[in-house]
Amino acid sequence: MVTLVEELVLLAIEDDGSVAYTAGAPGFGMAVIGAALVELNQLGRVDADTQALRVLSKEPTGGAALDRVLAELAAQQELPIDQAVRALFIHAPEVVRLALAALAARNILHFEEKRFLWVLKSRRYPITDGREQQEAKLRIMHSLLGDELPTPHDSALIGLAAAGGLLEAFLSTAEIARLEKRLENIGGLDLIARGVESAIQDENAERAKAAMLPPY
Amino acid sequence: MNTENVDGLTVALPAGRLDFGAAAPFQQQLEQAVAAKPRGLIVDCSSLDYVSSAGLRVFLVAARAAKAAGIGFAVSSMKPAVKEVFDLTGFGNVITLCADRAAAVAALA
Repeated sequence: MVTLVEELVLLAIEDDGSVAYTAGAPGFGMAVIGAALVELNQLGRVDADTQALRVLSKEPTGGAALDRVLAELAAQQELPIDQAVRALFIHAPEVVRLALAALAARNILHFEEKRFLWVLKSRRYPITDGREQQEAKLRIMHSLLGDELPTPHDSALIGLAAAGGLLEAFLSTAEIARLEKRLENIGGLDLIARGVESAIQDENAERAKAAMLPPY
Repeated sequence: MNTENVDGLTVALPAGRLDFGAAAPFQQQLEQAVAAKPRGLIVDCSSLDYVSSAGLRVFLVAARAAKAAGIGFAVSSMKPAVKEVFDLTGFGNVITLCADRAAAVAALA
């Protein structure tokens, strides 16, 4: 069984083992942090409301990626969900590395390192067992195309995958546009996933504003 | 959590704080209510002061269970602090939310 963090990471891996270009954007990192927070919430380590994200217990979960986020969260002051996500964002690459290592340890993917022109390194993560990735995609499609209420897990997965720009990896822009209303309805039912969406919007707005400042 | 029966509908009455600690027992009680196969299930939140992300998840689980069992489901009488959470997450787009219990009874008629 793969975790929510691992499912998001799997969705970012292309058929050839390369990581989707969207995974380089802040949205992906924040979505991964959000996935960890949703899981920590389900495990009773944190809880959240409209005012703050709170640590309930510092007891490790046994999952390296989740425990990394829990430790960082416990070390910082209480913040609203969106601000906590932005504060934790710098740890996203480490959380992704830990999730990739956990997937490799279970033989779901493996690491491949290549060199171009003997100097430039390129890392790929070919998927050994594609069932988990395929299943995540199928559950997303089933929820988006049907009229059933999603499970809390799938609602968070859909909301975070959409916020992190991961749906583009297997849906066309036209399909995403057609499903926009359904996406909005079922992808935002998790309070933490909503906070992630807000954090990404704020981050993108700040980056856009900074890009428009005159260089002198 | 208290429950009442109104015209074949089960009305669940959570009270106080619905946080992580209260979520599991609340979910169990709602699942038991669905298993009894009433005509519909109303969660009357008039005595509920607080709902966290963990508590909110229970409403989705209960709504799914009710829908799967062919039972109507509605949430009513939310105080402003609770309604804010439902509004923020767009629950009203997928679950029937009513201002008061009478409106919920009418919605499930």
